[in-house]
Amino acid sequence: MRWTAVMLAADLPPGAAAGTTVDGTDLAVWRSASGAVHAWTDRCPHRGMRLSHGFVRGETLACIYHGWRYGTDGACRHIPAHPSLTPPKTIAATDHACREAGGLIWVGGTGEPPVIEHPHPVRSLEVAAPPEAVARAFGAAEGVRVLDLDGRAATLALQPVASAATRIHALCARPDDRLALSRALDARRARAEGDAA
Amino acid sequence: MTPVLHDWVLDAGCYRVRLLASLLGADLDLRSVDVHPGDALRSEAFLLLNPAGTLPVMEVDGSVLTDGPACLTWLAATHDAGWLGDPSPGGRAALQHWLGVSHELAATLGAARPMDMLGASGDPRPLRLAGRGHLRRLDAALARGRWDGRAFLLGDRPTIADVACFPDVALAGDCGMSLDPYPSIRLWMRAVRGLPGFVPMPGIHPLHEASPFPEDARGSGADAARGTAA
Amino acid sequence: MTIAPADRAAWYPAAPSSAVTEGHATPTVLLGEGVALFRTDGVAAATGADRRALAVTERYDHVWVCPGTPDRALFAIPEAAMPGRRAVPCGSIHVRCSPLRAVENFLDIAHFPFIHTGILGEEPHTEVNRYDVRIDDDLDEVWARNITFHQPQASVSAEGALDVRYEYRVPAPTTAILYKTCPARPAEWDVIAIFVQPVSEETCIAHPWMTMFDDATPHADMVAFQQTIFLQDRSILENQIPARLPLDPGMEVPTQADLTSIAYRRWLKRRGHAHGAQLVAA
Ligand code: FES
Ligand SMILES: [Fe+2]
Repeated sequence: MRWTAVMLAADLPPGAAAGTTVDGTDLAVWRSASGAVHAWTDRCPHRGMRLSHGFVRGETLACIYHGWRYGTDGACRHIPAHPSLTPPKTIAATDHACREAGGLIWVGGTGEPPVIEHPHPVRSLEVAAPPEAVARAFGAAEGVRVLDLDGRAATLALQPVASAATRIHALCARPDDRLALSRALDARRARAEGDAA
Repeated sequence: MTPVLHDWVLDAGCYRVRLLASLLGADLDLRSVDVHPGDALRSEAFLLLNPAGTLPVMEVDGSVLTDGPACLTWLAATHDAGWLGDPSPGGRAALQHWLGVSHELAATLGAARPMDMLGASGDPRPLRLAGRGHLRRLDAALARGRWDGRAFLLGDRPTIADVACFPDVALAGDCGMSLDPYPSIRLWMRAVRGLPGFVPMPGIHPLHEASPFPEDARGSGADAARGTAA
Repeated sequence: MTIAPADRAAWYPAAPSSAVTEGHATPTVLLGEGVALFRTDGVAAATGADRRALAVTERYDHVWVCPGTPDRALFAIPEAAMPGRRAVPCGSIHVRCSPLRAVENFLDIAHFPFIHTGILGEEPHTEVNRYDVRIDDDLDEVWARNITFHQPQASVSAEGALDVRYEYRVPAPTTAILYKTCPARPAEWDVIAIFVQPVSEETCIAHPWMTMFDDATPHADMVAFQQTIFLQDRSILENQIPARLPLDPGMEVPTQADLTSIAYRRWLKRRGHAHGAQLVAA
């Protein structure tokens, strides 16, 4: 199974949770206080609330709706409505493979995520266009691509979100290039979306 | 004299004013206006107060302010001018820029919201599309600030620019727009929600992660209980 | 789409009375079908897509419509006629969720500390004590009784935190009524209802309504309080997956605090209500 980059590691500080989507599957991605990252199906087993709306305390992600707490292994640890109850082992969030490597957070793969040469995160952006238009503007619609954008070296990790949405996570070699690269990415996005329209 | 804010709990523009007042520790005398279902913005009494028929309306020292950023400016200037940002030419220009953006956000995302939420007449789709453009530019600007270690729009401290832009952005979900594609907006919203004195509004959750689990907060009590059990 | 007979035979709110005026039609949608509402000489009427006249009754400040042949009269809220009470319609809120999810959320107390923080609940007071739930076969209604919960600001007029008593009642598939300790008159109940208009299986309009003893609080403040609560719920309701309410056990995990929700789902299934429900675990 191939890894998909879902966000820049710098965009998920300890104690944060965020939602993302890979090929139509919604995920809650979160980082515990100790720094470990996790990706779960974005659905609380209790009443179906999106876990990405939840809140992190220590090594626990709590669902926003009724505060059920899930440990880093996905198992439910505590149900606030019944504080003295030990939740049965069967109540658990659905865990997906998740790794932090090369300044990115990766999900759903096996083995090692791809090696990323460029150390400096630029930013992530979403392109609302079908894969063909994204590929024409950025050279690819998924996977990792190293390219030269107007004379500046950049790594783009592409995340297929839905049939007409792709997220691009960009890193670069030199911090001084970030602003120009950020603008170049905006310009290529406009081209991809213009193509698609 | 305490300013009077003519207020509606669901109005993002009124929330800006309530939020800044709370962050400043300033008092407001709140008067609820029955905007929905009462349609009170079109009542004669309200139109006599503000002929434009819009909220927020703030009465201060005999004058009536009917513009959100104007209310914020007044509150900051009377309580803590640090919230107006750096008084250099560049600082003033940047403040005006973001106050202008806050009007654009209100005219797009803010205008789509009552259509989605209350069935107000109009087509929210072009407004959402225009709103998406504002969210993208805001996210890019915030990312740029983060490269230099700045968490807020005008620097490393919050200003009325943040308070002016925050509500319509944070309420984007109310008109069916996900903020997932905007990581720097997410981190900025978290920074705003973490400010001392922050107050939520319906559609914006308080920062539950900022408080410990109740049993951890009662650490000493729990230790004592354990001691007894042993 | 075919609509189950039980869904057709039920009463649904179609508009606040104030929205249906003499001289012109008010269009709306029920169960995915267009409905036009009229008022002639003060009396409300409705027609369906094929201009067929529909059964209409007007009560509790709303116009109620039955899309098929009603199998019973509209439920009664006896408190509505009690002298000294104020009825407060609190608006019409559009929500992208199943009408049944909106009702179920209204029947739930365990979310108060997290969603209505500082108003209807607050950590560490999260425990939900055992309460009584039953499907009343004579009334064909769901009832939950003997609920108590610690609330920091139970209503506009409450002064400080209170241990509040609650009873819930589901008299129709998309209506739920809450009876709650009345701070001004301990012997009476505040009555707060949610009338949910099923627009489609995944969209609804909630019309919160209440009747209470409170002469002091300005009308706009009473509306604002209820809108605050309901709009806090809206951001949850639009983010539950799936959007429809799963009636079969297995897809979601209830606990003892969810006894009302369990009874509500069972009652819907038994009566054959399918609109807005997910019947097979996906
Ligand atoms: S839905 Fe997550 S705790 Fe209830
Ligand atoms: Fe609620």
